[in-house]
Formats: sequence, C-alpha cells, structure tokens
Amino acid sequence: MDAALSGLLALADPYILALIVIATLGGVLIGALPGLNATTGAALLLPFTITMDPIPAIVVLTTIYCSATFAGAITAILINTPGTSASATTCLDGYPLAQRGEAGRALGMAAVSSTIGGIISVIALMLAAPMLARAAYNFAPPEYFALTVFGLSMLASIGDGSPVKNILSGAFGVLLATVGVDLLTSVERFTFGYNELSEGIGFVPVMIGVFGISELLVQAGGLDTVRKQVSMKSIKLPGRADYVKVWRTILRSSGIGTFIGILPAEGATVASMIGYNEAKRWSKTPEEFGNGAIEGIAGSEAANNAATGGAMVPTLALGIPGSPTAAVILAGMMVHGLRPGPSLFTEQADFVYAIFWSMMLVNVLFFFVGLYGAKLFARVTFIPTQILWPTVFTFSIVGAYALDQSMMDVWIALAFGIIGFMMRRHGFSVVPMAIGLILGGMLETRLGQSMVMLDEQWWLMVTRPLTLFFFVLTALALFGPMIWGRFFKQRAPIDSTGE
Amino acid sequence: MTKSSGRGPARWVAPVTIIGISLLAFWQSTQFERVPPILKRGMQPSDFPQLVLLLIIALALYVLVKEKRVTVEKLHPKALSSAGLLIAFALLAEVDLFLGLGVFSAALCLSWGDRRPGAILFVGLVVPMLIFFFFDTVFDIRFPRGLLTNLWYG
Repeated sequence: MDAALSGLLALADPYILALIVIATLGGVLIGALPGLNATTGAALLLPFTITMDPIPAIVVLTTIYCSATFAGAITAILINTPGTSASATTCLDGYPLAQRGEAGRALGMAAVSSTIGGIISVIALMLAAPMLARAAYNFAPPEYFALTVFGLSMLASIGDGSPVKNILSGAFGVLLATVGVDLLTSVERFTFGYNELSEGIGFVPVMIGVFGISELLVQAGGLDTVRKQVSMKSIKLPGRADYVKVWRTILRSSGIGTFIGILPAEGATVASMIGYNEAKRWSKTPEEFGNGAIEGIAGSEAANNAATGGAMVPTLALGIPGSPTAAVILAGMMVHGLRPGPSLFTEQADFVYAIFWSMMLVNVLFFFVGLYGAKLFARVTFIPTQILWPTVFTFSIVGAYALDQSMMDVWIALAFGIIGFMMRRHGFSVVPMAIGLILGGMLETRLGQSMVMLDEQWWLMVTRPLTLFFFVLTALALFGPMIWGRFFKQRAPIDSTGE
Repeated sequence: MTKSSGRGPARWVAPVTIIGISLLAFWQSTQFERVPPILKRGMQPSDFPQLVLLLIIALALYVLVKEKRVTVEKLHPKALSSAGLLIAFALLAEVDLFLGLGVFSAALCLSWGDRRPGAILFVGLVVPMLIFFFFDTVFDIRFPRGLLTNLWYG
C-alpha cells in the first residue's frame, strides 16, 4: 500500500506530469503518422530518456506506448490508413462510418472503448503483475531458462509471416546477443577485434535500425500513395443507444486484449484482430461489420488498448516482453540498470507503481486528446513524406550515437536498417529478432547457471515440474497450431456433410 | 506493388544466404578460446552460439525445402536509390556526421520528388542544426569532431 501511495506521489511531481502530457501528445502524433507506430516511436525516443531518472524515463516510454496505440484509430477512421497495425481492423468499420458523415461518432467510440480497455488492463496489471512476480520467487535458473524458451516460442505466431521464419528471425536475435565478452568465461566472441563490440551489440542502435531506418526504405516504395481525408464536422460522443449496443463488446474485448497482452510477445495487433472477430461472432447484426458497425470499432479498439496493460505484466514481473513495444521498454529499463522480475517489486516497488499510475493517467488523458484533437492530429498525416522521413532519419542517427557517444552504434543502426529491410522483403518479421536480442543474454546466462546447478546434466531440467510445464507450453506454442490445423482439416469434410 | 514470386532464384536467396553466413559464423565460433573445465561453469564459450547456429541452419534448410513458393516484392527504384544514399551518408559521415546527415536528408528529399528549396533547406540544414544544438546543449552530447562540428567545438 505504501508503495502504491509513493508511486502515486512520484507522479505528483510537476516535471513528471508535464512529461506525461508532452509524451501523450507526442505518442498520439506518432501513432497518427502512417509508418510510425508505438514501437518505432519508443525506439526513436529511447536515447532521449537516457539522461532522465528511471521513473520519468520509463513513464515517457509507457506513455508513448499507450497513446500511440490509441492514435492509430484516428487515421484509420479519417483516411482509411491505420496509423499502427493494431488499428487495421478499425479501418473496416471506422472509415465506412466516416464516409457516411459519422466520423465524429466513430472517433468518439474509438476514444471511449480505448480508454475503457486501457483502464481495465491497467487494473489487471496492478493485480496480476505483483502476483506473478511473487510466483516467480520460486523460479530457479532452469525455470527461468524454460520460461525464456517459452517466450521465444511465442514469437512463432507474431504477425502474418511464416512461424518458421519468425523463429529463425528470433534465433538470429539470440545469436546477436552472443556478440561480445562472454560473461561467464570472459572470452571474446564475434568481436572481430573491435573493442566497441566487447560489451555486445547495443539494443538501442539495433532497434533504431530495424524499426526506424528500415521503415524509411519501406516508405520509399510507397511514395505514390494518395491520402484523402473524410470531412468531419464535429466530434460526437456515442449516444445511449450506442453504449447499450457495445458495452458487452467493450468488456469482452478488454478481457481478450488483456489476456493476449499477457502472453509473451503477442501484442496489440493480434488482440485487435481477435477482439474484432469476437465482436462480429457475438453480434446480433454481423452483416453490418465491414459497412460501419459501431461494435466493430469498439471490439478492435478496446482490445488493442487493453493489450498494452496486459503486455506490461510479463515485462515487469518476469522480464519477458509481452509485445514488441514492451521489448523496447524492457531495453530502456535495462539501459537504466533496472532488472525486471520479482526483485523489482520488492526493491523498487514505488517505481513499479509509478508506472501503473502513469498508464492509468495516460488512458484518461488520451481520451480528451483523442476526442478534441483528432481533427488536428489527422492533419499530421499530410506532412509530406519527403520532409518527415529525412527528419526521422536524422533523429535515428543522432539517437543511435547519443547513447554511448560511439560511431560504432551509428554503423550498427545503419547496418540493421538495411538488414531489417532485406528481412522484411523476404518475409521475415524484424520483431522476433529484436525480442531475441533482448532475451538472448538471459537465455544463455540461465542455461549456464542451470548447467552448473544440475552438474552439467541438462536433461534433469525436465524432472522439475515447473520447467517441464514451460517446456510443454513451448511444444504447444510451436506445434499446437499445426496439430490443431490437421485435426480440423480432417474433420472438416465430416462437418460439411452434416454427419 | 509489383511482386516476383515463384520457385526461381527468389526462393533460394534468403535461406542460402542465411546458411552461408551461419556456416561462416560457425567456423568463426570454433576459433573462440576454450577455457579449462574449472572455469567453464557448465558451458564452453562456443557452445551456446554453436547451438543457436545449428538451429538457424536447420530452420533455414526447412525454409529451403518446404517453402516452395515465396513472394518477394520487387525492389522499388526509390528504395534502391535511398539505399545508395545511405551508403553515401556512411562515407560522408566519416568526414563529418552532420555534413553526412544534411547532405543525405537534402538528397533524400530531392530524390523523393520534393524540389521546393524551402523543404530541402529545412531537412538539410534547419533540422540537423536544431538537433545538433538540442543534443549538445540539453543532453551534453559531444559529437565526433569533423569539418562542421569543429566550427562549434573550436
């Protein structure tokens, strides 16, 4: 209770409050700009937070996360271009509503459902994260190793790419984490004689490269896109009839989003898709979906914002990122010397609660920013790409340099910009690579510790119930969809004949 | 967007490149120092990277064998020229980081079709200068000395 109060008091600092307001505006701006999303925004702003104290630094990153996730809906509704991939399903009903002259109502519903989804997930975060952290006290290195393997296995289902390619990308990230001096033996690995690499490849330049610079090259291929904004007379909050129609959808999607967020690596995009599909499945008027169903907006937006709070549960309690943006936040915490996990909740409980309260505050703030600034933020999408992306590039390079004031980091960011672009062209998502890089160090350390603990008899790991449990989950995450798919494929003809 | 797909070279490029690089990295890992058993604490320094590399090779082989059809978007000429500009930036940054940033930004703006002098001046001069002074004065970041930064650092 004391920690909750001191966390709340930490936010009473006018400096932190001002940062939250600025970061909310910045986050909405980032989320509204097609091509930039919460992950890219957090990666680009990470170097700016280095000189701050840990609380304001991480509060800025989580604020960007929440507000950018919401803001994708603004452009999804007004110009049929989702600002973030998590708002792709919002386009399906938001834009048709806007075309019918009901853009204000659509935006109002997006703001209300995002706020409710976000607040519900933060409440879940406040309840679940400490409990999970307490449970993690019983974890020894083999359990942590198995948990990290499970976290990595969840990368298989990220995005719409092939699961094998996702795992391959994640393994590449884990390999990158081995660059530098081995912590257990002090032997240099893959440094090629460069002293700058002895501490390993930094998270920040890699994130800036794969999320920022590679996006620049992607944007180069889409310069011909013409965006047309639907006119919007005024913002209109949803009426009583709308609430009666959508309250179940909002609650359901909030639950779905929170749960999906808690799963390692799964983020707002998956949550919004499932939230939308479930809204359609439970709707009394599913035929309206795709033609301007208000439930569609509520289902998608409540779920994607609920995923933000959910994603912070494993991030803070276990050090396993719950989403790509949470991975950047985790990197930020590591840069500030914070070690997510059970000890964070006992040794720096006020920090943890400050994060919780700030997320709660942001969810209320972006409601007003979103409602009353939507018209203005929709205009930022008309900033010419030719001006936006050179500016983003300058920020990216200076940001990559600023952390360690090393040109090596600039070269790393550039190299990973090109590698990331090539990976994306060939159907490899860059998100698993970034998460693999973050988890790779932990994976190797825990494996080494487990080997020492088990006297180099690694197979004894499966004799430990929790470790076995995580390995079973890993197997299910990797092979479950395949087995499930085959099972249903075999059953499908039987069902179709009605037998 | 134009796409090239099929069973041709496109499907070989990624897995074969990955396998090639992984084999090189595996060879490199065999050159790591080995430590005496008392110091190795469960694993030799090369064990873990080799384990990961074997996994990568196995997965790349799977992609090569199983994924018969791949779709690779044709490289947009603007993407190609932008990548070329990135290389030019890398060379110019050796002379001066902000010279590289200014020239890259202005050239990118121009090559992406914005020929307004104001826009080119803004991204090529105003933005890099603002960012330089912001980081220098607010965050106390010292940028590498070069042709232009020396004008400020003296």
